[in-house]
Amino acid sequence: MAEATLPAAAPKRAPIKHKRIGFWRSILRIFRELREAIVQALTSLVAHRLRAALTITGIAIGVGTVIAIYSAVAGLDDSFAKQLSMLGPNTLYVSKWSWGSNRENWWKLRNRPGVGRGDYRALLAGAKLPEAVAPIVGTQSTVGIGEHELQNIDIRGTTDAFLESGGFQVKHGRFLTSVDEEIGTDACIIGADLEDAFFKNAEPLGGRLKVGPMSRCTVVGTLVRKGNAFGQSQDKVLILPLSSFGRAFGAKRSMTIAAVAPIGRVRETEEELIQVLRTYRRILPDQDDNFTVNRQDKILQSFNQTTLALKVVAGLIGVITLLVGGIGIMNIMLVSVKERTREIGVRRALGARRSTILLQFLCEAVAVSCVGGMVGTALGIGVAWFLAQVTPMSAAVSPSVLLLGVGFSIGTGLLFGIWPAASAALLQPIEALRHE
Amino acid sequence: MALIELQHITKTYDLGLSKVHALRDIDFNIEKGEFVAIVGQSGSGKSTLMNILGCLDVPTTGAYLLGGRDVSTLADDELADVRNLEIGFVFQSFQLLPRASALENVELPLIYRGVSPRERREKAKAALDRVQLGDRTHHKPTELSGGQRQRVAIARALVTDPSLLLADEPTGNLDSATGEDIIRLFLELHAAGNTIVLVTHEPKLAARCPRAVRVVDGLVVADGEGQRVAFENQRDIDAAAAAALAAQQQMASGLSQREPGTGAHHG
Ligand SMILES: Nc1ncnc2c1ncn2[C@@H]1O[C@H](COP(=O)(O)OP(=O)(O)OP(=O)(O)O)[C@@H](O)[C@H]1O
Ligand SMILES: [Mg+2]
Repeated sequence: MAEATLPAAAPKRAPIKHKRIGFWRSILRIFRELREAIVQALTSLVAHRLRAALTITGIAIGVGTVIAIYSAVAGLDDSFAKQLSMLGPNTLYVSKWSWGSNRENWWKLRNRPGVGRGDYRALLAGAKLPEAVAPIVGTQSTVGIGEHELQNIDIRGTTDAFLESGGFQVKHGRFLTSVDEEIGTDACIIGADLEDAFFKNAEPLGGRLKVGPMSRCTVVGTLVRKGNAFGQSQDKVLILPLSSFGRAFGAKRSMTIAAVAPIGRVRETEEELIQVLRTYRRILPDQDDNFTVNRQDKILQSFNQTTLALKVVAGLIGVITLLVGGIGIMNIMLVSVKERTREIGVRRALGARRSTILLQFLCEAVAVSCVGGMVGTALGIGVAWFLAQVTPMSAAVSPSVLLLGVGFSIGTGLLFGIWPAASAALLQPIEALRHE
Repeated sequence: MALIELQHITKTYDLGLSKVHALRDIDFNIEKGEFVAIVGQSGSGKSTLMNILGCLDVPTTGAYLLGGRDVSTLADDELADVRNLEIGFVFQSFQLLPRASALENVELPLIYRGVSPRERREKAKAALDRVQLGDRTHHKPTELSGGQRQRVAIARALVTDPSLLLADEPTGNLDSATGEDIIRLFLELHAAGNTIVLVTHEPKLAARCPRAVRVVDGLVVADGEGQRVAFENQRDIDAAAAAALAAQQQMASGLSQREPGTGAHHG
């Protein structure tokens, strides 16, 4: 078999001069070993498909849960931000109700007197700081042209000052004027959904609509589209003069009074509103207010508290599932190290350093967790999307959430892979070679 | 200066209750370009000595100078580099990676010295050619005969162009004809200038080496011309061999095994 056809290699080595791996070669070596480690990790993943698939499933469920919940919460945040944007940052809202109040409070607040025209006039006359004061009443009713009718449209009654309180912007035409209020004209301003529904191919300005009991309202303006919040359109809205609204839907409704504070003087304005109303309502000094001056940042606070709780719960669920997945990774890595003890011995005998072995097994752990993370991210986005389709919730998938998912899974791989990998790296070469 | 200087090497395994003195006082040199056979009874400490020579293990006391450098003082990473750069190791049980092809197995040590993939491939091919396996590069170990596997292992040891080629009973798992091929390969490698240390049980093989060292109970009892040292205790060896043969035949007849064919390949 083996014939003497060897090339005559010259005996050229000088015994004193030790062979060395040069500096640059040792840098290159890191990358070449890393490349090899990644190839090995993927090969091993494919070789142990079933085993890897089970572990990947564990990680995927963990990461998927975190991503789904975070996307849902982010969607909630988005909706909320949109709805908040309707409320101007400097606008105070006087109401019978306290925003973001809990259930116990609800019973107390229920017995308060409603905010009415008297309060409005008192504020108009007595509050000097506000730049604008707008009364707002609302109901839901039917709007239509002839046979074509839409149900559950938000009808608002207010005055020209409403525009200044922020939220809506006029797209075409005009907003309400003081004349509309004084005379009680049939002018109305419509939201984008109504414009689409009734004036698809027609000029909306001057159009005639039936609004609840009012047989004829004239469109004098249209509003810029606002989009959805909490799965509901904010553009199914129709605005009337307060006086006309009162005639059609009754004047005794409890209203909300929007007062626009000068920039930087929100607190002072709030104080003034409270003072004026307490005087008007003859509240004794030792009695509590029987109204609330609401502020955007208060509602933001209570909302943030709620979503924070959600986020903490989501985080806990995520950590627990990742822990379970991580234990799965540790388990298969320990099995893998055990199975390949001899291989580790061979590699060490051929010149692999401890760090090389560590790198190889860490790569394998991260490969498993990373695939799990990617599957889980896809899963989480899928679930969030599905929820957004079947529930009024919206889901926002932000790039940061993707990073979070992949980052978490890589972290899990590293955290739970380090021990098996270190145990592999610490094996003595001869002991590993002798392993059966 | 000698390539290898062993200065009063001892190795003691501490088993808690007892201590095993595997090597007691090993003290000899090996020059560059030598071909040395190490012979001795089972349990005499040959493998222990080879592991120390191969920097897979360190002596309990004494110094091992490889090319003038005391390797027993080196850190773990430095030892790994010495194994990679200076030493080629051939094992009795081949120790190939089962999932890797012959070529990938031979490439392995080159990774640990940062050689580029293309250069690795070229060098590994050349090494496989050198052991006449140029046509088996993509075979997995399970698709190769025992002799072929051992030649892949030798190619892997050679591919780094080591200063020292170590082989611990490389023919131990092979039938005599295949073992003969392997020994011839080692003789050729020696003729080409390689320094080789080989452990063997077979006096006939040791006799063909220019130099042989006999180890008994962790001590060197004879060191000299292969011919002389290998057959020094021929009577003892013959007796032991006869006893072993008798035991084997007894077992074979009991189990009605296939008859031992001299030309059959192992594995
Ligand atoms: N890891 C170990 N722990 C304890 N004792 C050991 C260990 N390795 C070897 N020994 C002991 O050291 C002695 C020498 O063993 P070694 O393997 O070097 O013998 P050997 O000459 O190679 O034998 P063989 O020809 O059977 O391979 C033996 O008595 C053995 O039991
Ligand atoms: Mg041995």
